[in-house]
Amino acid sequence: MSIAVAPEIDQSLASRLSEIVGPKRVLFRPSELLTYTADALPSYFKRPSLAVFPGTRDEVVAVVRELAARKLPFVPRGSGTGLSGGALADGVVLIGLNRLSRVLSVDAENCLAVVEPGVVNVALSRAVAAHGLHYAPDPSSQAACTIGGNVAENAGGPHCLKYGVTTNHIVAITALLPSGEIVKLGRPDGENEGYDLVGSFVGSEGCFGIALDITVRLSRNPEAVRTLLADFMSLDDAAHAVSSIVATGIISAALEMIDQATVRAVEASIYAAGYPTDAAAVLLIELDGAAAGIERDVATVDALCKQHSARTVRIARDEVERAKLWQGRKKAFGAMGRVSPHLVVQDAVVPRTKLPEVLAEVKRIGERNRVPVCNVFHAGDGNLHPNIPYNAANADETERVHAAMKEIMAACVKAGGTITGEHGVGIDKLPYMDMIFSPDSLATMCSLREVFDPDRRSNPGKVVPVHACREWHAAPAARAAMR
Amino acid sequence: MTAFAIDSVDTVRDRIVDAAKRGIGLRVVGSGTWLDAGRPVGSSEIVSTKDLTGITEYVPGDLTLTARAGTKLAEIREATAGHGQWLALDPPGSPNSTLGATVATGSAGPLRTYFGSPRDLTLGVEFVSGVGVVARGGGRVVKNVAGFDLTRLMTGSWGTLGVITEVTVRLHARPEADESVAIAVDAKTGVAHVRQLLRRLPFTPYACEVVNDTLAVQLGSNGTTALLRLAGNSEGIQAQRNALTELGEVRAIDPSVWTKFAAIEPDASMVFRISGLPAEIESRWREAGDIAAACPGTLVHASPSRGVVRCVVPTSDAAREALKMRFAIPAQTSRIGERLPAELWPLCSPAPTADQLSTGIKRAFDPNNVLNVGILGETA
Repeated sequence: MSIAVAPEIDQSLASRLSEIVGPKRVLFRPSELLTYTADALPSYFKRPSLAVFPGTRDEVVAVVRELAARKLPFVPRGSGTGLSGGALADGVVLIGLNRLSRVLSVDAENCLAVVEPGVVNVALSRAVAAHGLHYAPDPSSQAACTIGGNVAENAGGPHCLKYGVTTNHIVAITALLPSGEIVKLGRPDGENEGYDLVGSFVGSEGCFGIALDITVRLSRNPEAVRTLLADFMSLDDAAHAVSSIVATGIISAALEMIDQATVRAVEASIYAAGYPTDAAAVLLIELDGAAAGIERDVATVDALCKQHSARTVRIARDEVERAKLWQGRKKAFGAMGRVSPHLVVQDAVVPRTKLPEVLAEVKRIGERNRVPVCNVFHAGDGNLHPNIPYNAANADETERVHAAMKEIMAACVKAGGTITGEHGVGIDKLPYMDMIFSPDSLATMCSLREVFDPDRRSNPGKVVPVHACREWHAAPAARAAMR
Repeated sequence: MTAFAIDSVDTVRDRIVDAAKRGIGLRVVGSGTWLDAGRPVGSSEIVSTKDLTGITEYVPGDLTLTARAGTKLAEIREATAGHGQWLALDPPGSPNSTLGATVATGSAGPLRTYFGSPRDLTLGVEFVSGVGVVARGGGRVVKNVAGFDLTRLMTGSWGTLGVITEVTVRLHARPEADESVAIAVDAKTGVAHVRQLLRRLPFTPYACEVVNDTLAVQLGSNGTTALLRLAGNSEGIQAQRNALTELGEVRAIDPSVWTKFAAIEPDASMVFRISGLPAEIESRWREAGDIAAACPGTLVHASPSRGVVRCVVPTSDAAREALKMRFAIPAQTSRIGERLPAELWPLCSPAPTADQLSTGIKRAFDPNNVLNVGILGETA
């Protein structure tokens, strides 16, 4: 693996950045940078030339302006829990934003909070808990991931089935463009007129700049929550149960499926949740809202699961049992760590009705390539996470794993799906962008990026394959007008 | 105005390329039911998507639907109702409004309280940009972060960046029960009480609009009235009704009230919203009350949980003068025009596309200034 280090990055830059953030906050020794060469997907390694950790908004601005003056590329980074190789690049300046971790204000009456980008997802919910509020998007990494990172990736999570993903909860952003200019996007009252700049920025994977502060919409804590665990002897039955629950009009807060291989990994780990290890799949279903009427909905869901041959349906009796059931789901990736040293995590979405056939195809692909595919995913919105544990030291196994992943992705796209539901494109999904977008669509995306970052210095080489960023002015009408 | 038959994405593209070549602007139009909305557009020629119709994909189990832009909301309602589903959008205006125009203008009605706006319900778009490029954003599945978000960029951009030719939306399954109720509230303090109660209650109604007496009468009630749409199972709805008695007597009303509500705007009217944070909605309600006092026949409705008050003022010379005087007073809140005479637009909140990024986006997507130029105000 060769690591390119941009020759422009030199001691003078390190000194200048040290002046801004303090010498301890600039890392450049290879050993110090090791942590920042990968995210949570252990398949990609890229080494930044420097890592800088500003502690205040003014320091972030000064750092970015310095880089703008020197025309140097940079990568913004939150906690590094990303799963697409998004927050890494060779030879760039990595800007760690974790130190900007203040909740700047909470307006409980209007259900709004303004936060710095480095606020940890779960810390925000804790900070507003006294008001009976929480921040709804809950990626499984929520104990570590930051709101800034969530904004960059348009992060999802189990409860997004009912409450929506990150973009549905962000109303305004103060953004620092790669040029060093500060712009305000959106309005706190959410009544936006004009272009949806917030919607454009959210999910731009760090390519449009850095969010200096983020105004989020908070959600009321539900009065009642019921968590059910249903186990099935076939994946097919479980998938059909999902469809019939969705069809009732009862909007589950979460509707997660965990297959046997994953259940076994979880149950063998410290995160054991009491899932039955002989079931082909379990569904973790959560209903929440007003207390009145919720038991009726629970009974409806219970009956539907049994109609689709659920062996047992267990309802968590108390908060302790509920937390345990969820821990098994949220720590499933962690539990895989016991199975083998490496893990690839896929993140495709298929139309819900295609779940049974796609799951069957995924199984066949695993068998064909002789790799164990484990599924743990957001079944309610068809967002699959096929995972393959493996040992990267074994070249043959690694090759088969990657071949299987490509085939899985192709099967999902063929079923009318998409290549990422919540993890982002990063570098991991770049090769698949051509499968779902035409060259013209990709070029259009590039043209949007160039408005925010004309020099393409912010998180270079992500989201849209470079070859797609052809000259926009080659478009037919532009040519016509020039004649 | 000259109209051209547009029945395919290719003809949309040809039309745009032709306009660019001739150096003229185009007015982008759906079925043309809301043509006086937005700032004045000088174009003499139109590009209409009204013949670009038809649902292209609808698998009820997926709760998604893809239709060409000119498909009427009424057609989508019919197609989905048979499966116990709906597109939870009830924008003001005619049921003949098209899906494309609804998304392009980001229009939403009372259901926004629970379901959000087109921004929250649109999963993918296909459009032809001002440079004649056919592009797609998003997709046909309910969750998708692949690529930069062209779908949200196009939603609410009023046709200034591209002509939307196809849209995929998220549908919802209808709940077991969906009931409408009316509660008479105090003309001055009612709106604030409703907002405070909604903030506290453990449920969100599908819709909640507080209407002034003039509008209440048209909808079969009397005096300032809170209209709510409650949904869930029958037990849940009973509890919701009980909780609302804190505001006053809860009266069941016919659900057709929402259809009437969508159609209340007379042809000749001036329409705008006053918007700000929900907690200060009372001051906006007062401002709207002053306008209604000065302009007889004004219909006012407020969405308390969103902080928005909307005014429908019957057009007359006197009303126009009254609004002009009122709009000349600088306000803390923002005034967002929907349908207004030309001279009132400059008095609304500043053109939302005058900032550097919006100007850059317009230049990137429509460098020849072909599409709906000026409808969102001048770009710099």
